[in-house]
Amino acid sequence: MRGQIQFDEKRQKAIAQCSRCGFCRAVCPIFDLTKRPVTNARGKMILLKELMEGKLPATEAVAQAFLRCTTCMNCTLNCPSGVDPQEMVKQARKDFVRLGMDNLFRTMAETMAKYGNIYGEERRVDWGHKKGNASIVLFLGCVGTYREEESVKETLQLLDILKVDYTLIEEVCCSGVLEDVGYKIIEDLAEKNIREIKKTGAKTLITTCPYCYRVFKDHPAYQNLGLELKHITQFLKDFNFEVQTQKKVTYHDPCDLGRHAGIYEEPREIIRKIAPNFIEPLRTRENSMCCGAGGGFRGSFPKESVRIARNRLGQIIEETGADILLTECPSCLHNFRNARRQKQRIEIYNITEFIGKLYQEKDSFGKEPA
Amino acid sequence: MIPKQSLIEIVGSENFTDQLEELVPYSYDASMNVHRPDGAIWPESPEQVAKIVQLANEEKTPLIPRGAGTSLSGGVVPIQGGIIVDLSKMNRMIEISIENRYVRVQAGVVCDLLNRELAKYGFVFPPDPASSSVATIGGNVATNAGGIKGAKYGTTRDYVLGLQVVLPTGEVMHTGSYTMKCVSGYDLSRLFVGSEGTLGIVTEATLKINPLPRYAMTAVATFSRLEDAGNAIFQTMMSGILPSVMEIMDQVTLRSIKENTDIDLPDAEAMILTETDGFTWEEVEAQMEVILKIFKKNHPIEIKTAKGEKDRVNLWKARKSAYATLARVSNSFVLDDVTVPVSRIPELLIGIQGISKKYDIVIATFGHAGDGNLHPQILYDEYDPEQVERMEKAEAEIFHLAISLNGTLSGEHGIGLSKANYMSLEHDPVEMALMKKIKKTLDPNNIMNPGKRALDDRKESNERANSI
Ligand SMILES: Cc1cc2nc3c(=O)[nH]c(=O)nc-3n(C[C@H](O)[C@H](O)[C@H](O)COP(=O)(O)OP(=O)(O)OC[C@H]3O[C@@H](n4cnc5c(N)ncnc54)[C@H](O)[C@@H]3O)c2cc1C
Ligand code: SF4
Ligand code: SF4
Repeated sequence: MRGQIQFDEKRQKAIAQCSRCGFCRAVCPIFDLTKRPVTNARGKMILLKELMEGKLPATEAVAQAFLRCTTCMNCTLNCPSGVDPQEMVKQARKDFVRLGMDNLFRTMAETMAKYGNIYGEERRVDWGHKKGNASIVLFLGCVGTYREEESVKETLQLLDILKVDYTLIEEVCCSGVLEDVGYKIIEDLAEKNIREIKKTGAKTLITTCPYCYRVFKDHPAYQNLGLELKHITQFLKDFNFEVQTQKKVTYHDPCDLGRHAGIYEEPREIIRKIAPNFIEPLRTRENSMCCGAGGGFRGSFPKESVRIARNRLGQIIEETGADILLTECPSCLHNFRNARRQKQRIEIYNITEFIGKLYQEKDSFGKEPA
Repeated sequence: MIPKQSLIEIVGSENFTDQLEELVPYSYDASMNVHRPDGAIWPESPEQVAKIVQLANEEKTPLIPRGAGTSLSGGVVPIQGGIIVDLSKMNRMIEISIENRYVRVQAGVVCDLLNRELAKYGFVFPPDPASSSVATIGGNVATNAGGIKGAKYGTTRDYVLGLQVVLPTGEVMHTGSYTMKCVSGYDLSRLFVGSEGTLGIVTEATLKINPLPRYAMTAVATFSRLEDAGNAIFQTMMSGILPSVMEIMDQVTLRSIKENTDIDLPDAEAMILTETDGFTWEEVEAQMEVILKIFKKNHPIEIKTAKGEKDRVNLWKARKSAYATLARVSNSFVLDDVTVPVSRIPELLIGIQGISKKYDIVIATFGHAGDGNLHPQILYDEYDPEQVERMEKAEAEIFHLAISLNGTLSGEHGIGLSKANYMSLEHDPVEMALMKKIKKTLDPNNIMNPGKRALDDRKESNERANSI
């Protein structure tokens, strides 16, 4: 017999708050794909209710059910009863780990502790840009660094063109994601990042990854950072760019940047400067559908995750007919690129990467006219 | 019980489950009823549904057709166990025929998604339950769903031209026609509209559609006396104008919104929200003028009107937030849907306030005044047995009150389990006996959603929320 999950008063109240209206069916990316009630927020709130009432034993299968959530927060914003299901899901994941039901992220935590990144990569691309001292530190995050290197390269070039005084550092994983999948942030990694950042004497920390942004902003382990924090879209919104595209451009709000961090306007301000033909998808901003990558979901259910990205991409193409899809999150970018079918013409970039590319095209156009 | 393997042979192992963690969410809907099913299945075609039903009929296994599970009456709670037949994967829009003014859709199509598609042509399927973002057409048909625009545009029943139904014995039947008119044979579609899954599984519906009105105007009026609001409503309904919306909110609802949101409201006993719609501005304004005149005669505190989309949204804010605000302030609630002839609305509202005092329990009432359909939302705590008892007594008295005013137990949510014990209040023994006979004729083995609507003689031991 395994132990029991504890339900304090606050949690009991939050569980009872779900009126089981089912409205969260309309917005859950996993339910949209599977049509299985256990995958949406109501399903999980009901599991919690029965765990709390002692009607449902805490088993491995139930623990697995709680891994099926991208923590996209779409249900939270659409819940008439004011429930925040993804917060409850994250808490439940911790409970199951505490009861001895480890999940596959235990290995990831070990990998992170050993290699300093989520993939267990031993080396990374050398982009240079390690000046040491600069007024700005640019933090790239694991997904960009190890899985979307080309995109990072363009972003760095853009910052050079804009003459931004920045430096990269010997960064390690912010490790915040562990808190979402049942474990705890790795304090050693956090301390190393803080040390490296402070060494540069920078006044501002800029992240390209919206998830890292959230961790630096909200996690107590980074409380003593003591410098201004900006997501790269916040930093670039006041710049002027000497490039434009006439193509039809659309934008996907990453859950971590939009619903989680409330940053909706800045990316749009930038896009409007470079793309007069900007068109919003039908489900956008607070209502943007998730790409299926977050909350450890891609790690646990890679096939379903890509299928969700495929659905979202199809939705965006149908709703906008755009030539270019922009976002500003390495995870969304990576998932969409994996999901894109050959016959789909749409090109997918991070905003900063795309602007970097436009500058390059402009340059090469100037040198050798076609 | 059907052997699991036989079901898997029909739909494949990925479309069947008997895993506990999947059955737990299937034990509930949006009411306080609960009971475990033995399995759940996701058919992908009418042929699969027919095979499942044939098997279930042979093995005498209960089947519970299910759409989005937004039932507020326990309609999809498998009170005798059995297999949940989830139609969510049958969500194809088969045919949109604008020239013939109909659509043919599978049962699992979500109401709002249908309307999003129809909007492209300037058309609409008018029944608009508040749950339309998730509720399915099958669920709408099976509960005869209605909504805010019921007084002018009717309910689902008024739009069903024909159905494809799998009967409880497993045969597939087509009812109705593709025409606007049809008196060929008995109107069997109607028998299935509102049948709450007790007579068969609806797999496809042919629905009449309407052109979308192009313009709408909104007005909100507050009244310091409930009686004045009541008079304003039925005088409007007598005036020759048919507003597309005529909603009322009582004092408890208004107070709750005022205290818990940043919406500014006067201290009033009632608020009415109304809309007129049409195909020209002149038409819309002329109708509104008549209504506003009536409102002014009935001593309003204030009246606000709006034409532009943004201003209209603002006026809708209070009404739209009613359910959510009340859902947030209490642990648990039941949301009823008693309906009375329009002129009896003030009596119903005053009566409910009396019941609320008598049982010392908060009851906030709002709803569709234009068709007499009100939603008393009773707030309580499901973990406090004493409060549960008071809630149940209050609810029973509201049902008695509605019937005494020539009303009905349910305008749109259905009887399900929650109201099954009150069926004989509304229906005389002759009618009850005929309903049972119809059920028995179509479903001799009582496999389709058994235990609902007091149709079988077996008494259910449905102890709200803890009967597992
Ligand atoms: C917050 C909230 C607001 C609501 N507002 C309204 C409203 O304004 N107006 C209104 O009318 N209702 C309203 N409802 C009630 C409910 O949403 C409607 O009854 C809706 O039509 C049910 O659709 P569903 O797909 O969820 O059906 P379910 O809840 O899954 O099923 C409802 C009933 O229909 C049967 N059924 C479902 N599909 C089929 C099928 N294919 N064949 C045969 N039987 C079937 C089920 O067995 C059950 O008895 C509301 C509910 C909630 C939670
Ligand atoms: S989580 Fe919110 S939206 Fe989902 S069923 Fe519960 S109350 Fe409704
Ligand atoms: S957070 Fe997203 S994935 Fe998780 S239950 Fe809510 S809507 Fe579904």
